[in-house]
Amino acid sequence: MTSTVDEDDREPAMESGESDEGKVVREVCANGVCIKTTEVEAKLDEGNIQEAESSLREGLSLNFEEARALLGKLEYQRGNVEGALRVFDGIDLQAAIQRLQPCVTEKTPPKKGRARSESQHAVSQHAANLVLEAIYLKVKSLQKLGRVTEAADECTSVLDAVEKIFHQGIPDGQVDSRLQDTVSQAVELLPELWKQAGCFQEAISAYRRALLSQWNLNNETCARIQKGFAVFLLYSGVEAGPPSLAVQLEGSYVPKNNLEEAILLLMVLVKKCYLGKIKWDPSVMEHLIFALSLCSQTSVLAKQLEEVMPGVYHRVDRWKSLSLCYFAAGQNKVALNLLRKSLHKHEQPDDVAALLLAAKICSEDPYLAAEGVGYAQRAMNNSIENEEHLRGVGLRLLGLCLGKQAKMASSDFERSRLQSEALKSLEAASGLESNNLDLMLELGVQYSEYRNLNAALQYAKKFIDETGGSVLKGWQLLALVLSAQKRFSEAEVVTDAAMDETTKWEQGPLLRLKAKLKVSQSLHMDAIETYRYLLALVQAQKKSFGPLRIVPQVEDDKVNEFEVWNGLANLYSSLSHWKDAEICLGKARELKEFSPEVLHTEGLMCEGREKIQEALAAYINALLLEPSYVPCKVLIGALWSKAGPDALPIARSLLSDALRLDPTNRKAWFYLGVIHRDEGRMADAIDCFQAAAMLEESDPIESFSSIL
Amino acid sequence: MSSSSSDDDSPAAVEPTPAEETAVEKEPSLAEETAVEETAATTEETVPAIAAAAAPVIKTSSRASGSGPVVRFDISQSSSSTTIAQTAIESLKSILPNNIPSSLPSAPNPALTLLHDLETTAQITALLRRPSSGAGDDNLCRWLYDTFQSNNPDLKLVVLRFLPVLLGAYLSRVVSRRKSLAGFEAVLLSLYAHETNRRASQPLAVNIPDLTHPSIYHESKSPLKNNATALNLAVISPSLEPHGMVRSTKRARIVGVALELYYTKIDKIPETSKIEFCEFCRMWAGGGDDENGGFKKEEAAEAEEAEEEGIGRIPLPWEILQPVLRVLGHCLLGSNLITKCKKNESTPLFDAAIAAIRSLYLRSMHDINPKAILATGSLVRLGNMAMESADEIDYTEIPFQTVINL
Repeated sequence: MTSTVDEDDREPAMESGESDEGKVVREVCANGVCIKTTEVEAKLDEGNIQEAESSLREGLSLNFEEARALLGKLEYQRGNVEGALRVFDGIDLQAAIQRLQPCVTEKTPPKKGRARSESQHAVSQHAANLVLEAIYLKVKSLQKLGRVTEAADECTSVLDAVEKIFHQGIPDGQVDSRLQDTVSQAVELLPELWKQAGCFQEAISAYRRALLSQWNLNNETCARIQKGFAVFLLYSGVEAGPPSLAVQLEGSYVPKNNLEEAILLLMVLVKKCYLGKIKWDPSVMEHLIFALSLCSQTSVLAKQLEEVMPGVYHRVDRWKSLSLCYFAAGQNKVALNLLRKSLHKHEQPDDVAALLLAAKICSEDPYLAAEGVGYAQRAMNNSIENEEHLRGVGLRLLGLCLGKQAKMASSDFERSRLQSEALKSLEAASGLESNNLDLMLELGVQYSEYRNLNAALQYAKKFIDETGGSVLKGWQLLALVLSAQKRFSEAEVVTDAAMDETTKWEQGPLLRLKAKLKVSQSLHMDAIETYRYLLALVQAQKKSFGPLRIVPQVEDDKVNEFEVWNGLANLYSSLSHWKDAEICLGKARELKEFSPEVLHTEGLMCEGREKIQEALAAYINALLLEPSYVPCKVLIGALWSKAGPDALPIARSLLSDALRLDPTNRKAWFYLGVIHRDEGRMADAIDCFQAAAMLEESDPIESFSSIL
Repeated sequence: MSSSSSDDDSPAAVEPTPAEETAVEKEPSLAEETAVEETAATTEETVPAIAAAAAPVIKTSSRASGSGPVVRFDISQSSSSTTIAQTAIESLKSILPNNIPSSLPSAPNPALTLLHDLETTAQITALLRRPSSGAGDDNLCRWLYDTFQSNNPDLKLVVLRFLPVLLGAYLSRVVSRRKSLAGFEAVLLSLYAHETNRRASQPLAVNIPDLTHPSIYHESKSPLKNNATALNLAVISPSLEPHGMVRSTKRARIVGVALELYYTKIDKIPETSKIEFCEFCRMWAGGGDDENGGFKKEEAAEAEEAEEEGIGRIPLPWEILQPVLRVLGHCLLGSNLITKCKKNESTPLFDAAIAAIRSLYLRSMHDINPKAILATGSLVRLGNMAMESADEIDYTEIPFQTVINL
């Protein structure tokens, strides 16, 4: 009977509750009796708490505390928080808590006398709920009045009381659901209160208390608290410090700083989603993406994204996110495969962002460059309306891919066509994005590779200016361009200036440049001195290179010890200091047993000592190790060209092959000229010699492409 | 209190002497500061010291929580730091063009009052934004440098508060114009040195959790089975080497570390400073905060606006971008956690932050920087979610009932 009345009452009450609360019919029920509250409310409005209380006690046969608790709840629900507070102030809540404890100590051996104490449970839990709910409503009232610190203190006392009542955590399924609700709400409210009070360390402890003690929270509540804490840790800027030793179990992972704790919580939340314990919350994944990419841990992030259940993300979106993760983690092949899937004609073939990403990956690999050209062109065609601003990016990538493709071109004609197209695209891109500094450097390198040294010099200078000299590559390019123009002393000045702008640890590539500059100026002793210095640096770095050392600006361009020894061996052999050269070569060989570079140097030394057969053997071995190793191809060609007319065709084909791989190799051009001359084709010989002479005038001391 | 403030004004006439000394050479002034810290009783300081002794009395009474001896100890501590703050404010007077509020030095905590004094901070900001600022003989930079050397943490906050505007001027000028910016660099280096000290040169690293291992927040079914699998160690800020000067290839690192320091104090930094930071980030990214393609159009307007100060797109290596993103993440999603405002209220800071993040997102698209695309993209989406989300349900509220059951 009453229940149907309840239902009927509730519906309109919920709706009208906000608009005009005064007309809501209320009832209070206890001990099987229900009474209307109008009379009691009237008394309360007159400020007569005691009369209201006594009418409740009489009407419902309640004790003092029960009546007060009911009154407080009534006031609270009427929105009269000040009144509620006055009512609650009348109860000695602390004493009530004290009284609760003895009856619950009986419960500690739960297995033995469960049946016997069941009824007592009900009673004591009922009493406990009455008191705790009263305090909780007091907390909420205080919060609404803006007295958050007091509220937080009271809320803490709720939790303290619960912990005292249930020594070993709240047992699952043995607790009255209303009591559990109150406990859960208090647990969730406490950190919010401390945050509102501006007491952040207390908020952090409250969060941890909520999550690390046994409150028997339901999954959704626990997830809300975990997410709230993770967000607080990630963004508040308040350093939490590691959790106390008390909660640290042996063998379990204990986070030591905000990021670790936030990432852990977010991962736990994501896992709960897969297990179906909580609803999927897209923001959780976004927070995790942010946190993990801040830590540069995109491969971990990829794993997380892969574990997301199907149906959450559209597959193309997932592929794209994954490709970003893998690309950032340096796994370009995986990234490209994913992008190929997402750019398939049945998926989203016109997605500009994906096209650009694919083109970028392809632009780093000559074998993929042709594919990249296609992506870049598609990206440009689709960069319309909202994405028009990305046209410049598309053009830039087109230029880079064409430049890379030119390296693999099968014919001279093809190569020069691609090269000029590459430059055209890059120039067009720089028209659209005049302030893109990367583009400026790329143009500089591109021009220098095609030996347009004046243009290259302009871009290199501009790049250094615009970056304020903050990028090492800019300095390197300028020094190389100057060296190609045979302005060695200026190149040295640039190198020295660059060294002033770097710390000792990062001077390796510059020192190597400097040594080569000294060699070019025939300052051999200075060169040896520079190499020695470089060697000391490399060895010092090797000793102190833990996982946490400073990552140099150009990571892949770290000077390795092998390179230094080999360079020294070369230098000594050019000075005919055979013994020193042998020693250095031995050191190099210790570091890398089979390498074309070592065999190259060894061959040079043999040749220098007139041991032609051994030299030839060394060069051929080098080619066996690395079939496209151009310097040895050229040297074999040179040796064969001197071996009489029968060997000339072999020599010529070797040199042509070398020139296909490296069209700017002046030595290959020179020896090819020699062969043409010896065979009597003077016009061809002149062309070759001319090419060799021109290239020599613009030969850098290191390959330009080493910069990008 | 008013009497003490008038007392304060009289030494102000005497004060400029040390302040001008500051202008002549940095080292002696430094020594002076430390001397003040140690003794706080040099002849010139007597009057401010008295004023300071008067101030903490009010302060302790307002606290009125600790027991007797602790509070006394507190007086001696705060009196010296109050004196330092007052000295700093006195010397600031001679640098700023307009007067600063006379109540400032006599406030209970002058440093914190200065930190939140909009008028004075606006004056300092304007000075820092002048085209001629930042040179080696810039008095304001010296003041910032000296002030940061004091061991009053609140004064350090005052200096950090100006980091955004200082970087705004420094980073854009250092690339295009070859002017001496030694003043700015001295401040940045002192921030860097402070952070180096605080961290004992150690790197900041994060052990990425792996859920196959149990943790304090979850249990794992295969505990301790494959204990050998190493955790992923992520270095978020490498170890710090000492720098006595700003070498250009290390500039990004020094700036990045200064921003990391800014981030560690971000919950105490006033909102105006954060808004300035967001606006500079937007300009550094190259303008264009409209996700719906306004990049080019915006750029023109942007360029005009930025032209005056020469602030525009600058190189943003990860060393700078990472701390920038941490700060922006706070501005977007964290500042409402710590300032008691309602969650969905769109604050000026939120608006500035979302604008900055959107332009950084576009910038990372232009740079095709996957890590930055991921980080900025997630922030953009989180910002959008925060704007769209309707009023959240308050789960801590009790359900409304028409029938209250006991």
